[in-house]
Amino acid sequence: MSKLSEYAPAHRARLRHTKDRLATAGITAGGAGVLLAILLIFFYLLYEVVPLFSGAGIEAGERTPWNGPVPAYLAVEEQGEVGFAVAPDGAARFFDIASGAVIETLDLAGDRAAVTVVAAEAPQSRLLALGHADGGVSLARHDYKLSYPGGEREITPELSRPYADQALSLGRGAVTALAVSDTEDALVVVGEVAGEGLRGTRFRRQESFLTGETTLEEEALVLPTLAGDTAALFIGSGQRWLYRIDSAGDFTVVDLQRSGAAGALAIAATGKLFEGGGGLSTSAMLLGGISLLAASDRGELVQYFMVRDEQSGHRFHRVRDFDTRGVVVARILPEHRRKGFLALGRDGELQIYHTTAHRRLYSREVGAPGREGAAAIAPRGDALIYIGGDGQLAHWAVDNEHPDVSWSALWDEVWYESYDEPAHIWQSSASNNDFEPKYSFAPLAFGTLKAAFYTMLIAAPLAICGAIYTAYFMAPALRRKIKPMIELMEALPTVILGFLAGLWLAPFIEDKLTGVFALLVFMPLGILSFAFAFSRLPVMLRRRVPEGWDAAILLPVVVLIGYLSFAANDPLELALFGGDMRLWITRELGISFDQRNSLVVGIAMGMAVIPTIFSIAEDAIFSVPRHLSDGSLALGATPWQTLVGVVLPTASPGIFSGLMIGLGRAVGETMIVLMATGNTPIMDANIFEGMRTLSANIAVEVPEAEVDSTHYRVLFLAAFVLLLFTFVFNTIAELVRQRLRVKYGSL
Amino acid sequence: MQNHAIDIQALRRGPLQDEDAAPPVTSLAVNQLSLFYNQDAQALYDINLEIPKQRVTAFIGPSGCGKSSLLRCINRMNDLVDGCRVRGQILLDGEDIYDRRVDVANLRRRIGMVFQKPNPFPKSVYENVAYGLRIQGINKKRILDEVVEKSLRAAALWEEVKDRLHESALGMSGGQQQRLVIARTIAVEPEVLLLDEPASALDPISTLKIEELIYELKSRYTIVIVTHNMQQAARVSDMTAFMYMGKLVEFDSTDAIFTNPAQKQTEDYITGRYG
Repeated sequence: MSKLSEYAPAHRARLRHTKDRLATAGITAGGAGVLLAILLIFFYLLYEVVPLFSGAGIEAGERTPWNGPVPAYLAVEEQGEVGFAVAPDGAARFFDIASGAVIETLDLAGDRAAVTVVAAEAPQSRLLALGHADGGVSLARHDYKLSYPGGEREITPELSRPYADQALSLGRGAVTALAVSDTEDALVVVGEVAGEGLRGTRFRRQESFLTGETTLEEEALVLPTLAGDTAALFIGSGQRWLYRIDSAGDFTVVDLQRSGAAGALAIAATGKLFEGGGGLSTSAMLLGGISLLAASDRGELVQYFMVRDEQSGHRFHRVRDFDTRGVVVARILPEHRRKGFLALGRDGELQIYHTTAHRRLYSREVGAPGREGAAAIAPRGDALIYIGGDGQLAHWAVDNEHPDVSWSALWDEVWYESYDEPAHIWQSSASNNDFEPKYSFAPLAFGTLKAAFYTMLIAAPLAICGAIYTAYFMAPALRRKIKPMIELMEALPTVILGFLAGLWLAPFIEDKLTGVFALLVFMPLGILSFAFAFSRLPVMLRRRVPEGWDAAILLPVVVLIGYLSFAANDPLELALFGGDMRLWITRELGISFDQRNSLVVGIAMGMAVIPTIFSIAEDAIFSVPRHLSDGSLALGATPWQTLVGVVLPTASPGIFSGLMIGLGRAVGETMIVLMATGNTPIMDANIFEGMRTLSANIAVEVPEAEVDSTHYRVLFLAAFVLLLFTFVFNTIAELVRQRLRVKYGSL
Repeated sequence: MQNHAIDIQALRRGPLQDEDAAPPVTSLAVNQLSLFYNQDAQALYDINLEIPKQRVTAFIGPSGCGKSSLLRCINRMNDLVDGCRVRGQILLDGEDIYDRRVDVANLRRRIGMVFQKPNPFPKSVYENVAYGLRIQGINKKRILDEVVEKSLRAAALWEEVKDRLHESALGMSGGQQQRLVIARTIAVEPEVLLLDEPASALDPISTLKIEELIYELKSRYTIVIVTHNMQQAARVSDMTAFMYMGKLVEFDSTDAIFTNPAQKQTEDYITGRYG
């Protein structure tokens, strides 16, 4: 016997060994690479999303001496470098925050009577109103000019006195509380005048067309007489509501645009602010002038705003309250650009809240007692300064990037400002800067599932029935043509499907709605009756059709039924729906109809999903071992019984994974839903209305989101949620498939 | 034509060597049967034979001789093969099974078939046996229980599986699976049992069990078995047909075929000169 190894060249063996090792290494690297890529995506999304949920932090700066009284009004300019303080007597100064050095001092009282009260228009506004001892009111505005001499930033503060030429007066007594609101239309000033009660004046602004000169037209507001002392006055946005709070915690809302009894302006609402009793500790208007924040001297902290009720009246509603952990809030500092605020406790605690997210981001003792000091937050929300009774100027850097997001803001119903009830809303941007961003994922998740549901409603029966017929009944010659054709559909770019759906199918369905529904009724009926008629034909005629080619003779029938259904559109519509089915649906069923609706999405996305499901399900059915179906047939089962009893159960793991992969595709599909729906983030299962899906939302909004802004990160969170959706779907699918496989294990 | 065919059969049959004194009744008569795959590939050439009732008839012959094709003609499984065409007759109790009015599903219930590879359905043992009844529309639990037990006992499987009736049949050994398939087949009370190399995929002990089972069953069923294994044919069958190249070479009692074959070809085959 010759030794084979003598003939096999050694280098071949080495080469074979090398190839084997290379293949092992290559395949291992590829597999690890796939896992790594998925993990990287996962961690990158996580990295972008995590800052949304981290709380706020502060970092104390140096304390510098402050020589002067505790200011009645304190503000910081945009860069956080220059501060502006107004003492109770009207002595004002601009100062350098880092060093406490005075830049400029001014006397706001000037030659007028002594200043008795200082009020700001709104958190972000630089307009001040000063009440004087003689009932007069004057205005002041602090502005900052930036220049770059020698490449270095220089901030030049300026103070202007608007309407200085106008004699604004509310009465004769000293002004003890004051609110001001200045818009393009009117300037409204309301104050409490000692001995005279509430007094108010509205100056309508008139602009001359010819000269462009503005003149103020004075109109006295007749305010109702109210009991108690006025602790705080606010004028809401739109200059409609006047909020007055007394020190006992009672509120009165006066409608500045409607007269009530006795010629005075109507009282819209009145009541107690605090459920736990107690007097008012402090109050402030949130950014936007809609919400009122108030804290009681017993530790309650609440948010109120006006809500329309059923009778189109208004009520002042306690929208939410914040858990202060027993801290009595002595000072509320609303942020200038967000719906958040800082709260200084009576004894030196600092807390940071956000209203929409209903979240407390920070709470710690910082040694800034709110009852004896003044504080201000920088416009960017990144700095806090505090001047205490101990003659110290303290400042902190505030790190609070993303207060707006919380679990409840994302998924629960939130009572947004100006809404009549809590709702799930997605609205990430608006035309004005002081609006409340609404980041609810609920409508997007709902839209995603809705689109997937209507897609599967159309795709699943068609794809699975088609797969069953093709794999089990169709003649092999026909199958060899049909299967690649359907699989080719998968290669169709979804942007083309979306384009066709949006620009051709949507108007077509709108036009021929009755025809579409007629088709849904007539197609199954027509096919079934044709099949029945065919089975009654004489055997000789039936034998003409080769086995498995029966689907081919159905083709003209399908085309004919389709044609007839759409041809019957107009007469049917006239007979059944009075000539316009859209109108009928809206009127009789009370369902609104959008042109780009879920039906269109279902059909278009169905077209994209059908090849996926069909291909996998067809393979699964076709690969059921022949000897299994033979075994069933040999027992006397009909082909149909064999299909239902043996073939489908055996193929069920494959059919199921086909369905789940189709569902996964429907959930993640972007282009079709983007183009074929109106992208309205609504929560309504109505088939005639559109939706906005998570994926389409990302595609629409990412280009306009500022990098690293809350909005940007929320979109990443949406992507993360989408990833979790598909992850959950695939995991469930895999578990079910494993179970099915154990049960109907392949042979 | 039919008469002529029977004449030929009678000539070939020779003296019966059965212990049974009563002459066997013909269960299946194959008359001038030819089978074509596609247009011109002929698999069977004018086969004539009579399969006696309640006897075991074995088809032997080298691979590709057409013995399995002939078996599959008997319960019309060849209908499922694309482009397959049959000429001639097969009479089951005097009725042509290729008649147009014949309900194929019902025919297959009467002529059960067991395949080479055990093919239990991916269901429980119980459901495998009950399957044939369920497709007849029998769903009463009492009847099903009764038939399942009876069939499993008849297939000599009851003692082995009675405690795991509701477990998957796929967990059983190959031999058990094959006996389960036989139990499943006899549950629907067929008249004829076609066995297509039922033991070729099994180990010797399982094979022995199957052979014992065949011996048990022949008192109630007409059994036709295709086998490669000549010892098996000699052990289990009463009648043996030797086929070669799609033609029936010799059909006689098993003893005659194995001890005193009439044809040279038969002798060559059984003595192992080819095949």
